[in-house]
Amino acid sequence: MLTAIAVAAALVVVAAGVWAWRLRGRLAATERRLRGAAGELEALQYAFSRFAPREVVDDIIAQGVSGRSATKDVTIVFADLHAFTALAEQLDPERLVGLLNGYFAAMERAIAEHRGHVAKFIGDGILAVFGALEPNPWQTNDALHAALAMRAALATYNRRLEADGLPTLRVGIGIHRGPVVTGVLGGTALVEYGVLGRAVNVAARVERLTRLHDADILVTEVVRDHADRRFRLRALPATTVKGLAEPLATFAVEGFDPGGAGTSEAVGSVA
Amino acid sequence: MALADATTATEWGDWLPESPVPPALAAEVRRNMGVVPGWTRRLAPVPWVVRACSRLAKNVTAYAPLELLHPIVLVVSRDNSCRYCFGVQRTLMKTMGYADDYLDRLERDVELRELAPAQRAALDFARRLSRADPRPGARDLAQLAAAGYSRAAIAEIAYAAAAASVINRISTMVALPTDAMIARLDHPLTRLVRPLIARMLRPRRAKPLAAPPTDDGPCGAVVAALGDSPAAAAVRETIDAALASPVLPRRTKLLMMAVVARALGCGRSEAEARAMLATEGLDGAAVDDVLAHLGSPRLDAREALLVPFARESVRYRNGDIQARTRALHDALGVEAAIEAVGIASLANGVCRLSVLLDAC
Repeated sequence: MLTAIAVAAALVVVAAGVWAWRLRGRLAATERRLRGAAGELEALQYAFSRFAPREVVDDIIAQGVSGRSATKDVTIVFADLHAFTALAEQLDPERLVGLLNGYFAAMERAIAEHRGHVAKFIGDGILAVFGALEPNPWQTNDALHAALAMRAALATYNRRLEADGLPTLRVGIGIHRGPVVTGVLGGTALVEYGVLGRAVNVAARVERLTRLHDADILVTEVVRDHADRRFRLRALPATTVKGLAEPLATFAVEGFDPGGAGTSEAVGSVA
Repeated sequence: MALADATTATEWGDWLPESPVPPALAAEVRRNMGVVPGWTRRLAPVPWVVRACSRLAKNVTAYAPLELLHPIVLVVSRDNSCRYCFGVQRTLMKTMGYADDYLDRLERDVELRELAPAQRAALDFARRLSRADPRPGARDLAQLAAAGYSRAAIAEIAYAAAAASVINRISTMVALPTDAMIARLDHPLTRLVRPLIARMLRPRRAKPLAAPPTDDGPCGAVVAALGDSPAAAAVRETIDAALASPVLPRRTKLLMMAVVARALGCGRSEAEARAMLATEGLDGAAVDDVLAHLGSPRLDAREALLVPFARESVRYRNGDIQARTRALHDALGVEAAIEAVGIASLANGVCRLSVLLDAC
């Protein structure tokens, strides 16, 4: 009798153990599902928010389109490779595309890390915007830090190219700040969230001046006025550019002194 | 960064150590929440942060429709991509009897379009308040009033969204791991007692305060805008405890609050922080410098870390903000990191809540 009770008790214990084990598994599965769902959610939000402001994404999710447009004060970074046509002629297409993609990835990372977003790749050029996707009172400083990060990233990338026996790259970066119209642009087949306005053209013109002044990063006066005084800037002669009535004053960005005094004298050195 | 990189870079690891919880603090949390959640042990080194979380999570309201409170927290947590809060809130709502299908649709915003206009208006307002992109204003409050909500109910709807924004930030920045207690709610055995748990979880109407806080003290106008709602007491106590805490200097905390106000375009909160900073000996020009560039030679080494951190707390990607919080922890220690997270999160909540002043 006792043996039977003991066996029954043992069976109950084993059954309870198996049951508990299975429940534990179910709990773990629930946890995994929660984590998976949350991960997907984050990934989706992250992916969308890289292309357009959230309200535009909401419109697109809800209605498939967005007619929302706005005028915003943004800081524009325009980057272009120097002597790219000659480079393109030297390399076979596969190597050229690989080289360009590596460059774009490094630049895009530098821009995103400083809260900018790439609005467009134009051939070998990059149009990046700061302050368009979300309000950003520090957009000009962010753009300048991004430009310095792009300079550093390009130096690293060039070392890799050199080691691989490939030609190195030189970039010109123009930065300007001003009002632009933002919105979803395009027809039925292809749409993009873009920016339009004179400020975009000015940034492109400033980039062209990098060749003339032999400087890799140039900014306009309005950018200098909004920038942290710890940026080291060097004034350059005002130059007439296409499309602008007045000569355009620009400043070469030499670096940033985190521990700098940040006084007006530091800014004064550029004039 | 490729999408795959972005998600794998999300550090949601278990890095904040657990600490012993003083019995009085545990008892207070239990009084507020009915249980002592796992995060209590992680945030315990800075008791006011624990108290803030338990008070704000309780969502005490006297006027807002009770059926709105949980959906507001879900919608805001989803919008903030707060993995912890979103998971907890979804599980709680499921336990309370919300159907999976309803929750799925609410997550995908489908339900928002199918809700009654007044409910939709409230949830949409909560989401926009949380996003603050830009901050809602008097017009938004007028729309809620037109949808049938009283001034007091609108204040509490704003409070619920702001409180969720605070808790989302704290949970995300310190990367709270999934709470075993929450996972157990989905346990088959627990399902047997779900009706009882659901009863416990259901929001209850609280009584209005007999003596509402006046507009004295830090952020007094925002607190007073909550009127005699019990939420006013929760906000008042939280702000006072945050500023009184000895872990970080008051000046540092006010600078962080001013930076958050600047990032959110909240002129009132910035002006108030500036006024308080003046009493701490920091003149207007110095504050201008800090707010314009998030740095100044007049900042000490700790402030030079915390001022930019405050800015990052406003609009963030989970992986980035968690890496920054971890770096703060490594540089300043656990107490300073938790207090910095608490202050930045609270400042985000107060600035969002200050929308109520636009209607005053």
